[in-house]
Amino acid sequence: MNAPLALLLMRGTLAANGFRLALTVVSIALGVALAGAVHTVHTSALAEIERAAHALAGKADVEIRGPRSGFDDALFAAIASRAEVAAASPVVEIEATQAGSGRALRILGIDALRAIRLQPAFVVDAARTGAGGAGRLFDERALWLSPAAAARLVARAGDTLVFNGADGTLDLHVAGILAGMQAGGELGVMDIAAAQRLFGRLGLLSRIDLRLRPGFDDAHFRRAVASLLPPGVVASGAASLSGRAAAITRAYRVNLDALALVALATGAFLVFSTLALQAARRRQEFALLRALGVTRSGVALLLALEGAVIGAIGSAIGTVLGLSGSRFLLERAGGDLGAGFFSASQSPFTVDVPALSFIAALGTFMSIGGALWVARAVGRIEVAEALRDRAVDLPDAAKGAGILAVLLVIAGIPLLFVPPIAGLPLGGYGAIAAWLGASVLAVGPLCRAILARVAPPAAPIASLALAQVRHLPGHLAASVAGIVVSASLCVAMAIMVFSFRVSLEDWLNGVVGADLYVRSSSTAGAFSARDLRIVESLPEVASLEALRFDRIVLDPQGLEVTLIARPVNARILDGFQSEPRAMPVAGEEIPVWISEAARDLRGWKAGDRIRLPIAGRDTPVLVAGVIRDYARTWGAVLMPVERYRAISGDTRTDDLAIHLAPGVDARRAEAAIQRALPEARGLAFEDAADLRRRSLAIFDRSFAVTYALEAIAIVIGMAGVTSSFAALAWSRRREFGVLRFLGLTRGEVLRLLAVEGAATGALGAAIGLVSGVAISLVLVQVVNRQSFHWSLEVHWPFAALAALTVGVISMCAIGARVSGAFAVRKEAVLAVKDDA
Amino acid sequence: MLEVRGLGKSFGPGKPLFDAADLGVARGEWVAIVGESGSGKSTLLNIVAGLDRPDRGQVLLDGKALDFGDDDALALWRRRHVGFVFQAFHLLPYLSVRENVALPLALIGVHGAEREQRAQSALQSVGLGELGDRRPGSLSGGEMQRAAIARALVHGPSLVLADEPTGNLDESNAGAVLACLGDAVKRAGAAALMVTHSRLAAAAADRVLRLAGGSLGPAP
Repeated sequence: MNAPLALLLMRGTLAANGFRLALTVVSIALGVALAGAVHTVHTSALAEIERAAHALAGKADVEIRGPRSGFDDALFAAIASRAEVAAASPVVEIEATQAGSGRALRILGIDALRAIRLQPAFVVDAARTGAGGAGRLFDERALWLSPAAAARLVARAGDTLVFNGADGTLDLHVAGILAGMQAGGELGVMDIAAAQRLFGRLGLLSRIDLRLRPGFDDAHFRRAVASLLPPGVVASGAASLSGRAAAITRAYRVNLDALALVALATGAFLVFSTLALQAARRRQEFALLRALGVTRSGVALLLALEGAVIGAIGSAIGTVLGLSGSRFLLERAGGDLGAGFFSASQSPFTVDVPALSFIAALGTFMSIGGALWVARAVGRIEVAEALRDRAVDLPDAAKGAGILAVLLVIAGIPLLFVPPIAGLPLGGYGAIAAWLGASVLAVGPLCRAILARVAPPAAPIASLALAQVRHLPGHLAASVAGIVVSASLCVAMAIMVFSFRVSLEDWLNGVVGADLYVRSSSTAGAFSARDLRIVESLPEVASLEALRFDRIVLDPQGLEVTLIARPVNARILDGFQSEPRAMPVAGEEIPVWISEAARDLRGWKAGDRIRLPIAGRDTPVLVAGVIRDYARTWGAVLMPVERYRAISGDTRTDDLAIHLAPGVDARRAEAAIQRALPEARGLAFEDAADLRRRSLAIFDRSFAVTYALEAIAIVIGMAGVTSSFAALAWSRRREFGVLRFLGLTRGEVLRLLAVEGAATGALGAAIGLVSGVAISLVLVQVVNRQSFHWSLEVHWPFAALAALTVGVISMCAIGARVSGAFAVRKEAVLAVKDDA
Repeated sequence: MLEVRGLGKSFGPGKPLFDAADLGVARGEWVAIVGESGSGKSTLLNIVAGLDRPDRGQVLLDGKALDFGDDDALALWRRRHVGFVFQAFHLLPYLSVRENVALPLALIGVHGAEREQRAQSALQSVGLGELGDRRPGSLSGGEMQRAAIARALVHGPSLVLADEPTGNLDESNAGAVLACLGDAVKRAGAAALMVTHSRLAAAAADRVLRLAGGSLGPAP
């Protein structure tokens, strides 16, 4: 077939099937838009983090950093005096909270004269801000804000901001806005000595930024200084923050990308389904072309061209939709789509052109692939027979589909046991793809088997509907398969999310055992030992537990583990669902409990003796058990607080878990604590119910995008059903006319269509339910564990699954009825005269 | 008895199709209407069937006028009182021949064994008693039209309407089908109205009318 002829035929087809093709284009567009939007949001967020990291690192080659609690500033002199070092800048990082509002601000304490050699933007341009005066650089109450911080705090040069300091509240004056730190995110900068003194970090540093002299290799330098560094302090490449952020969020991002691609595949499947149904209508047309001398490959080319046009238009629209959607998501849900990984600041819109081009190309090629798959079936048409008959069904399905489905199911089983590759559950994804493919292939044989066992109903409409559905197995399989793909995805996600939520709720009920929690985000620790004694002596308080958190660095790659120091007892181990559950026998060895993430990422297990860098000491500890921790994907270590204090000498406390005296309510205790600790302003009080509610709200927010993906998958599936029924209804106009002659009312004909739609929906929902349950088990037991290192119990959301099933069946019935309405118009009665 | 009184239909102003058409068909009588293509034969048939609306006039069956304003009532009326035979047979391909014939019985609520038995009996009356389990696609044109006649009469309608019933058949099959239709109509005592181009078909009817120039009158 030559190109002009192919284009002529294609133009006729596209013009004659406008509505159905529009639905198909919409499906592809939605899939591409979704994948593009999710990717663009993540790209923007990571680009923002990278920009911020580079803005802060400036011209530094190497950064030396330690735990959140800091390291001894004596290290600075030893490092800065080395011959390889051209410039060194010490930094102390404070997570300061504003008094009253409790809002947090990251404050960097810097030595301005040293920092300016690495990052000139740290020092304000006096000419531009009017807040000049070198003397102000050393004013211990002067604070410079980045533009983002100034915008969020609504602060200008000359304003005073009040923070919670080490010895009560402290006033800091906004000395200027650092215009050069536009990309640095929300932060404040002040003199390092002042920051150490005012925020209780005397003698401590968080980081040392280094620039090496020309000719010195930074990798070589890092190896050379490793022996000088105390345990828990590492030397890494500058701006490693972006790499760590990417690593921490990668599993989450890849999971969402995978989900979005499934939606895209569903859309592409719809192209196959629509083209297949059209091919059924066009049997005689194809047979005529073959009779006129067009080869099989010529017909395949025609179909491929149609697929390409549909795919390209859908991809183009989808890309535009995805870009505008990602802007909306960035503004509304943030760069992590509500998951809470990144800061609340908005990420500038960043477009990854190659990736978006790839997604658009994927949408187009999937569409072409669907068309070529249809072309295979069209190639099997018996030309002479097709020229005579008026069959509206697809050519016979490929033989052996059932066997291939079974083989795919079997092939998926070993993939479940493949360990994560580069931290990603690729085996799990492979199993899901194999089982989804098996579900689609099994649709034809399963529908035949199920329908063969259904007795004809007595009611004539239902009986006609059953006969019709049985009569067109090819059409039925194409329609049902579209529903199966989208229903599987929804069922799987519903079960996974519900299992996760119930497991989280159970975990929170166990872990949140106290009546009232008092939180502080100050790095310095909100409460002194004296504060604890005061609170403990209040009549409203029966007992309290002191909680101290730190982030310790375990390797030069800089990945951190959260250290949780708190009283550990049988109740706490029960709450954390520790394995083993029993308290170890008290002894010399320091027991710790590691989270599942720490176990998987570090290769530790119960009974291991490991070494942790705590307060600059390499401390041997015994892994007494593995606990569940749904709060941190990068790993956590739980240690008895009294052993932590003995090692570190650190007696300050971040959070208090308070058990109230009998008859005392949380509000009364809160007021009593605030009276007893008048200096401790800006503390957050939460009772157990509030804490659980807030945690679940964060969970729900982080899964909001998942619900959106599910909704879109359903919309795509329904578009498929509507499209296929529209195609079928049009080809059955003559039949409807006959039924009207025989005395069926228009309403009864539409009811017939609705029953057929409902039957199709019921078959799709039933097969999708089975397939979705299998996929959900892969998500819960493999993908979730390998991605996030969290064990979950499977919980069944019966109500949601029932609603989903009823919803799918109803929507199919409505879709079929609506799409058939035009074919049952009065004029359609005259279709019986149509001899074409 | 079928009565058509003063029936008029036009396709827009100044485009009359037929005007003041009168017609009476007694029970057991078979009337054929002939005419050129576009003369309005099929439109007249569709109006009589309650599938199209006249501009003027009335259609009465056994003295009761059709209410053209109530589409659903017309459908229910057709279901009980009318049988159709089409040029292109129009058997539903997804039902067996017997199920096709039984369809009008199912629609009026005849169930189970009685429906089966009446459908089989109708098939036997048109000489297709052995073919009830076959699919329509496996029958010849003449066999399909005989099955369609069985379907048109299985529920004992008062009126049988046939639109070019031999249009898709060769002469030999057409003769057999017309004989079959004539026998069936007489046996059932129904009024039968047929529109056709075919002289052979018209000759088989008891009376022939011609629709030409907008008027319905005896054929010469």
